[in-house]
Amino acid sequence: MLYDLFIGPFAEFDFMRRALVGVVALSVSGGAIGVFLMLRRMSLTGDAMAHAILPGAAIGYLVAGFSLPAMTLGGLAAGFAVALAAGAVARVTVIKEDASLAAFYLISLALGVTIVSLRGSAVDLFHVLFGNVLALDDDVLILLSGVATVSLMTLAALYRPLVMECVDPGFLRSVSRSGGLVHLTFLGLVVLNLVAGFHALGTLLAVGLMMLPAAAARFWTADITRLILLASGFGMVSGYAGLVMSYSAGSNLPAGPAIILAAGALYLGSLLLGTQGGLARRLLPRRHLRA
Amino acid sequence: MPNRRALLGALAAGLILAQAPMAATAQDKLPVVASFSILGDFVKEVGGDRVALTTLVGANGDAHVYSPTPADAKAMAGAKLVVVNGLKFEGWITRLIKSSGTKATVATATTGITPLRNEADDHDHGKKDKHGHNHAGQDDPHAWQSVANARIYVANIRDALVKADPAGQASYEANATRYLAQLDAVEAEIRAAVARIPADRRKAITSHDAFGYFVKAYGVEFVSPQGVSTEAEASARDVGRIIRQIKAEKIPAVFLENVTNPRLVERIAKESGAKVGGRIFSDALSDADGPAGTYIAMMKHNISQIEKALAAGPA
Amino acid sequence: MVAAPLSAIRLTDLTLGYDRHPAVHHLSGEIATGSLTAIVGPNGAGKSTLLKGIAGALSPLDGDIAVARGRRLAYLPQQAELDRSFPIHVYDLVAMGLWNRAGIFGRIGGGAAAKIEAAIAAVGLAGFERRPIGALSGGQMQRALFARLLLQDADIILLDEPFTAIDARTTADLLALVQRWHGESRTVVAVLHDIETVRRAFPQTLLLARETVAWGETGEVLTVANLLKARRMVEAFDSHAAPCERDAA
Repeated sequence: MLYDLFIGPFAEFDFMRRALVGVVALSVSGGAIGVFLMLRRMSLTGDAMAHAILPGAAIGYLVAGFSLPAMTLGGLAAGFAVALAAGAVARVTVIKEDASLAAFYLISLALGVTIVSLRGSAVDLFHVLFGNVLALDDDVLILLSGVATVSLMTLAALYRPLVMECVDPGFLRSVSRSGGLVHLTFLGLVVLNLVAGFHALGTLLAVGLMMLPAAAARFWTADITRLILLASGFGMVSGYAGLVMSYSAGSNLPAGPAIILAAGALYLGSLLLGTQGGLARRLLPRRHLRA
Repeated sequence: MPNRRALLGALAAGLILAQAPMAATAQDKLPVVASFSILGDFVKEVGGDRVALTTLVGANGDAHVYSPTPADAKAMAGAKLVVVNGLKFEGWITRLIKSSGTKATVATATTGITPLRNEADDHDHGKKDKHGHNHAGQDDPHAWQSVANARIYVANIRDALVKADPAGQASYEANATRYLAQLDAVEAEIRAAVARIPADRRKAITSHDAFGYFVKAYGVEFVSPQGVSTEAEASARDVGRIIRQIKAEKIPAVFLENVTNPRLVERIAKESGAKVGGRIFSDALSDADGPAGTYIAMMKHNISQIEKALAAGPA
Repeated sequence: MVAAPLSAIRLTDLTLGYDRHPAVHHLSGEIATGSLTAIVGPNGAGKSTLLKGIAGALSPLDGDIAVARGRRLAYLPQQAELDRSFPIHVYDLVAMGLWNRAGIFGRIGGGAAAKIEAAIAAVGLAGFERRPIGALSGGQMQRALFARLLLQDADIILLDEPFTAIDARTTADLLALVQRWHGESRTVVAVLHDIETVRRAFPQTLLLARETVAWGETGEVLTVANLLKARRMVEAFDSHAAPCERDAA
């Protein structure tokens, strides 16, 4: 019985195994990136980016029709352009990160809609651009794994300056000139993970698996290394649980939203019961320690 | 001199009156708005030159999720007749009609058609003869997939055109009669093609539940992993079931459509061993130079793709 | 070994400010290597601005700042842009001081852990290594930042109001650290508000009121007359100021 519920579907169906691999790959790098986004108060970047990539995809569509690689590359280019422009403007002018990103993604989105409309047909580009967790073929899996690997290696290399940039950017500025480069590289990683995620899994899943586990992990630890590990772990668990839920009889949950609901449940549970500032701790305080 | 003035007056009046017929002919075309490409095609066939047609959702467009533009509202405002599908196909049309302030008559092409209800999700898609008429769900709006229904569409459109422009009655009726004959011919072709497919291979998978009427009329079974609207998403359970079903019933082919995401369908095909058939058209016509630029071309193209994929040997 | 240059920092007709309004006006002078200098003056005198300029965080509107070549510089701003809610510990914060010597991506040598712990102990925060920085009091945070400065092992150290709003015990401890640096022939420049501390512990003083009021031995600078002169300064910017006509003297 337990086997049927938890192992069976994955043993029987290739698409289930692929879905699990895809979700795990995204969680591995998405966990760390989500944690940094959250700590830098950039949690809404994911949604902004989902809209920002439209003109790139639209141009890809104009040039090559319904070619998924063309549209994805176009989307990547647009995403990089928006992220880098927003980041640069925020560093150099009085505008802060959030306003800068909002400004650029809105411009980008409007450009994209205009380009699509000029073409004449009311093709819903969004729908075709974004993937589905149940439809992962070999190319997409390789893409996800590649992106996860590159992200992890880059994050490992950039770890110290990245942390410094978050905690005390003034100090980083005073000891090194690499602050700007580190920041832009991080943004580049964010765009890469997001666009790959959109292409493979759709916007909801890509952004959700990045941000929800990170937020949930915050309630269990205040150490950044543990945060990252926990966030990745939560992502994988949510993926697995969501797939099981979407498969089991009695539900008919679409797979992507099921995974996000699982991640959401994990988040709400952490909010209530987490050891670091969860609600339960507040309402039922324990005896304080000896001085 | 009074004579000269009278002459000038007469000349002037004559000139003005001479303009009138020219102006009248320029305004004589009946402005009609059709909600999407298939309806547009029908209106063109029946209306001919007497009609100035604007189609809102064009070739390859997805009417389920269409967002009207200001240009659409303008066309709507200037129209005398608006032709819509009905059966909740165009969720956005009522608001557009209202906001454009148009005084046009709205003709619903599906008037008089017996609609099919969508099946509840845990209904077994496998049985050939168990279709429609189930409790939950809404009407399936893709009534044009059955040529018999298309005949009703054409009749409704003809009647609406006659009412809006009685002067053209003869022309409309002639066009309609001619076109209906063509539809009869297409239907015969479709039935013949289906007859050529071995009975146990008359089933296929699509990504869009839009062929209910086709199935009922011609006996080729279509199964889909998603709901009717392109906004619905598949659950793992549905996908698993379809793969199992394809393997169990040896369903030969999978079809991709021109408005939906092909990836899920390709994955199902790959895992179940079904063949990926050609592109078939469900909700919209293709470009004029594509394989399905008119309704008749679309139906012919679809059936030829279906026959090709299903008649071939096992994948 | 090359002898240490005589002046660590040289200012030449320096004007620093924001949006064309000068906060600091036509400043010229030198800070000698190994000296311990206090910068004092009334509010709005441009003291923090001057330090920012020396640290390289602000570009001069006019004139020049020359820092001795090859000298490592460490700067402790008045209100650090520190994100207290970031989940790291005192140990990690202090360890940042070593990073700039290893280069951002270089390896920190063995013995780094010992150095970090020694620095933490030197500022009186032994036992606080695993404490999250968000849990520190003002005084404790300042101690941790000083520990980081210790590890930076800089030749020139700039401190902007290091003891403001800090308890007396911490002030005393950190002041001792400053004097230790002075003893190690490092150049230290500190902006301070407490005149008594300056008189007691800082041999050199620059009395600033947008321009130099007096610069030199503390005893000669901090006279009643000088202090009065400085106080008579206008604090607010004159928004209708005409372009300055004065050239370098």
